[in-house]
Amino acid sequence: MKKTWKIVGRHIVLAVLAFIWLIPVFWLVVTTFGVEKGINTNHFFPAHWTLANYHQLFFEPDAAANFPAWFKNSMIIGVFSCLVSSIFVIMTAYAFSFIEFKGRKKLMSFSLILGMFPGVLSMIAMYFILKMLGLTDSVVGLIILYSGASGLGYLILKGFFDTIPTSLHEAAKLEGASEATIFAKIVVPLSKPMIVYTVINSFLNPWMDFVMVRLMIKSKNAADWTMALGLFNLLQRALVNQYFAYFCCGGLMIAVPISILFIIMQKFYVEGVTGGAVKG
Amino acid sequence: MKKKLVSALLVSTMAVSAFVGCGAAAEETPAADSTESTEETAEASTEDAIANLIAATEGTVNIDLWCSETEEYQTVMKKLCDDFAAQYPDVDFNITLGAVSEADMKDRVLEDVEAAADVFVFPDDQLEALAKAGALNEVAAQYTYDMNETDTPATVEAAQYDGKQYGYPFTASNGYFLYYDKNQLSDEDVASWEALTAKAEELGKEVGCETANGWYLYGFFKGAGCNLTENEDQSNNCDWNNETGLAAAEALQEIASSKAYKSYGNDDLLANLNDGKVVAYVSGTWNVNAFSEAYGDGYAATKLPTFKVNGEDKQMASYSGYKFVGVNAYAENTGWSMLLAEYLTNATSQEAVYEATGEGPSNTEALAKASSPALDALAAQSEFAQLQRVGGNYWTPAESLGKNILEGKVSQQVLDDAVAGITQPVE
Amino acid sequence: MKKIGNYFKDFGQAIAHGDIWVKLSLIIMGAGYFGRKQFVRGILMTVLQIGVLASIFGVFAPYMSKLNTLGTVQREEIFDIVTMKKTVNNYDNSLLILLYGIIGILVIIAFIALYIGNIKATYCLQKMQENGEKLNTFVDDIVSFKNERFHITLLTLPSLGVILINIIPILFMVCIAFTNYDENHQPPTYLFTWVGIKNFVNLFTTSQTITFGYAFVRVLIWTLIWAVLATATTFLGGILLAQFINHEDTKFKGMWRTLFVITIGIPQFVTLLLISKMFGDNGIVNTFCSNVGILDFFKNIGLLNAADSFIPFLSRPGWAHITIILVNIWVGIPYQMLVATGILMNIPSDQIESAKIDGANKFQIFWKITMPYVMFITGPSLIQSVIGNINNFNVIYLLTYNYQTTNMAMANSHANEVDLLITWLFRLTNEYSNFKMASVIGIVTFVVCAALSLLTFSRMIGGDKEGVYR
Repeated sequence: MKKTWKIVGRHIVLAVLAFIWLIPVFWLVVTTFGVEKGINTNHFFPAHWTLANYHQLFFEPDAAANFPAWFKNSMIIGVFSCLVSSIFVIMTAYAFSFIEFKGRKKLMSFSLILGMFPGVLSMIAMYFILKMLGLTDSVVGLIILYSGASGLGYLILKGFFDTIPTSLHEAAKLEGASEATIFAKIVVPLSKPMIVYTVINSFLNPWMDFVMVRLMIKSKNAADWTMALGLFNLLQRALVNQYFAYFCCGGLMIAVPISILFIIMQKFYVEGVTGGAVKG
Repeated sequence: MKKKLVSALLVSTMAVSAFVGCGAAAEETPAADSTESTEETAEASTEDAIANLIAATEGTVNIDLWCSETEEYQTVMKKLCDDFAAQYPDVDFNITLGAVSEADMKDRVLEDVEAAADVFVFPDDQLEALAKAGALNEVAAQYTYDMNETDTPATVEAAQYDGKQYGYPFTASNGYFLYYDKNQLSDEDVASWEALTAKAEELGKEVGCETANGWYLYGFFKGAGCNLTENEDQSNNCDWNNETGLAAAEALQEIASSKAYKSYGNDDLLANLNDGKVVAYVSGTWNVNAFSEAYGDGYAATKLPTFKVNGEDKQMASYSGYKFVGVNAYAENTGWSMLLAEYLTNATSQEAVYEATGEGPSNTEALAKASSPALDALAAQSEFAQLQRVGGNYWTPAESLGKNILEGKVSQQVLDDAVAGITQPVE
Repeated sequence: MKKIGNYFKDFGQAIAHGDIWVKLSLIIMGAGYFGRKQFVRGILMTVLQIGVLASIFGVFAPYMSKLNTLGTVQREEIFDIVTMKKTVNNYDNSLLILLYGIIGILVIIAFIALYIGNIKATYCLQKMQENGEKLNTFVDDIVSFKNERFHITLLTLPSLGVILINIIPILFMVCIAFTNYDENHQPPTYLFTWVGIKNFVNLFTTSQTITFGYAFVRVLIWTLIWAVLATATTFLGGILLAQFINHEDTKFKGMWRTLFVITIGIPQFVTLLLISKMFGDNGIVNTFCSNVGILDFFKNIGLLNAADSFIPFLSRPGWAHITIILVNIWVGIPYQMLVATGILMNIPSDQIESAKIDGANKFQIFWKITMPYVMFITGPSLIQSVIGNINNFNVIYLLTYNYQTTNMAMANSHANEVDLLITWLFRLTNEYSNFKMASVIGIVTFVVCAALSLLTFSRMIGGDKEGVYR
């Protein structure tokens, strides 16, 4: 009996925590169904309910707001940057974790130091480098920008790789597997849960960035913007009273791919448990 | 040893392929224009100049135009651009409209002047920064009208910096005034801050002005008789810490201590306005739709209220605000960009813009035809409004001073510190 | 020093003892390979040499030659009112000179290293041939990239990306700190030039009007406190939450995780904006607090003055600092939970089992087994996340973008009490175009971070802890 109460208590605690975490999200959701287009942050619930904001979001693009185009642009940039940067992170982490090469520790310290320089400052230089390469205003340029330096974010994954027994690595080598084969056939499958985390993280960065992209996208045609850029722009003084509900709808829709991504990837977490059992 | 070599090889092939790309790009930049200037002193008529330009134009003329992203603006500007292109049937135009918030125009242009629009609309407070960075093309001559004859002298003067004309006056309604709900407040109520706050307290409603913002705060100190001016080196002169200044700050502190007095930023203002809490507020034409919707048939606007300093009623002053059309100093087609800027700011265009957006024209002819509560209020306020000429070191200290006033912390020391910050030397 | 000496000694020996092919390589870099009938390598090397030299002389040389002054010819334009044409002189652009100059220098350094390496390699080939050893074919080389040189295959592209996106911009901004690049010297119209360490002197000077020094110390202290607190709270919270959800008694694990992760999915500029409105002086939370009497309670216990009509969650120092930390916990815990879940899944279960058999209770297991394991994996990245928080722009900026300070000395240098170094320098560049001071602050931030973390980090990776769990 005592056990049952403990389990119930556990779930109540979780529910309360989840509730606290979801209040702002919940507020966002109800705001999207409000008839008021303008900003209204004094009430929790709107006075009247409607679906018009979603209709506007998906079917009525105008000069300031073009959600379908934003979604498409962000998706392209997000998916490719995510691919490239996940690969970079995995490659770097593997090299630093499994291969003993000359200057490894020095390179690691150096890469850590690099990450300490405030990125906001180097934006102007990045812009002119892209301009030099003729890549401003292009999807390729943004992908390079978001994924180029991603190799620096290898630390967590490397820490995880460090727990994979070297015996596995050596056994495979004895059987004549090349480093590349070990990498692809043994290490990557064993590390799915952390790779999931890496992938989600790599996708989030380009998907949510609104600071850098403002400088990099020069086009002032709303159809060329990314989602974060476009939505952030709606907060301007001249627009916020017309587009706040739209802004909230868009903000909510941004979360959809992330949530789907995560739900799909839940199953890797379950596999992770069995993966851990391999090493006795 | 070989290991090292091949890695270096790999790195540099990448590098080479990258540099091939940039080599091509680099060649396009400054293609050494000759500096020779053909000093022709001959007086030529403007028609000749335009004819010259048409004759010299080959291929498509590309012009980028940046203006506010609101639907009304984009629509009317699009139409005006089409009309402009139709005026010169022999020339093939490709005018592209871009949506940029006016408040951000300076930042977007200065990020990379060379990549910015050829023609853009910007508010007067950005003129100085834009001119200082060399982003604006001087209006050396006018071809289709003369702004000195058609526009109010104040607006023409406002578009000058360092004695040179940098902008084409476009609208003259970017200042601030008092919106109120005439169903709840009478003319006497809105005449002075004291009456306004008293009435609002009685009604249980809210009134106010964004006090912790140098743009509005200036109105109180200037109204009381203090001065704030800019020196040539962009530092400021400020006497707000004298006796009058202290009295003004204390008077404002007294007003702000009323429960009904609020200092909302724009978002909070709109939220509380939509809730029906705000019955009078100092704001400008950018919020005209919000106020007219919220007040319905009670919608009204008037000049700013007076306030008591040392027992004397003083009229609150304000900054007058304008919008200009500017031509980028790095424009691809300077001539055509200037003609487009002129076209967008002539009498008929200004009228069209007024009809579409409700913003008051700077052109006297167009202004005569324009009338609305907001524009009338601006006109009434105009004799107490000054042109905004202030150095960059003003804003943050002023904001902090406003916040001190709101929190009831006014003292001689606070004013002294604020003035020290505002007047700090510019290197 | 000795290493560097050897490096050049080897080079000298290679030239001295090299045969004709090695000596020819001094001019045509592929020659050494042609001589050993390695044509593919030879061609690649020569093409590379031509390409690099062409780019140096064709593109970078004009910029590098002006690096010492950063340009002398200011832009001048003449508008002819009759033809409506504008003529512009051939002006210098300080910004491009600096940027291209830096890239040019990097290319030259890389090329020299390549050049020396090439000579040594051809000499090595010569010796191998003399000794009758088998020379690697081109195919052999390719294969080696899958094996003993696999790390080069792995690291080349990421390093290139880092050089392009990270190192070059950093070098550029470091240089800016020694120039007078500010609102009065903005390229392309105006030139900026070198001014030495004047900007650094300014940062540490405090007078009544120049308050950079005063503001700097306060901003720095808050930045450090924030970074440590923000990292510690979210890290611990994340592990506890992950642990809690992972417990065998918890039903619907996936659902709970998803609920928390949704908050990651919505961009911070949306959620943080809403939260800053909720906690605003006139926001929902304040309305709620005054309705249920929390406002009066705070007044009674002396946290607020009797005259206050709201709780200044985000508008007064102290209050704002605490709110920011709390909101950051809200933001950060779901991330940490994601990481921790991934890690906890793989925790060696045998250790926990044996600890249980030994009679350890839950807390002992958590502190003695779980925490060390998690710390082992995330330890180095924790430092990275402290650094990340020092540079955490989003949370602070979005929560406090309309914070107004009442501290005049702070205001006079455009700072406020809740600013981090990064938000301060963002404002300096964005609103005041004061790039030189922003760069100085950036460099100081960098030095602080580097000093702090090198101390701890070298202990973490230097102490041979990497093999513990293998």
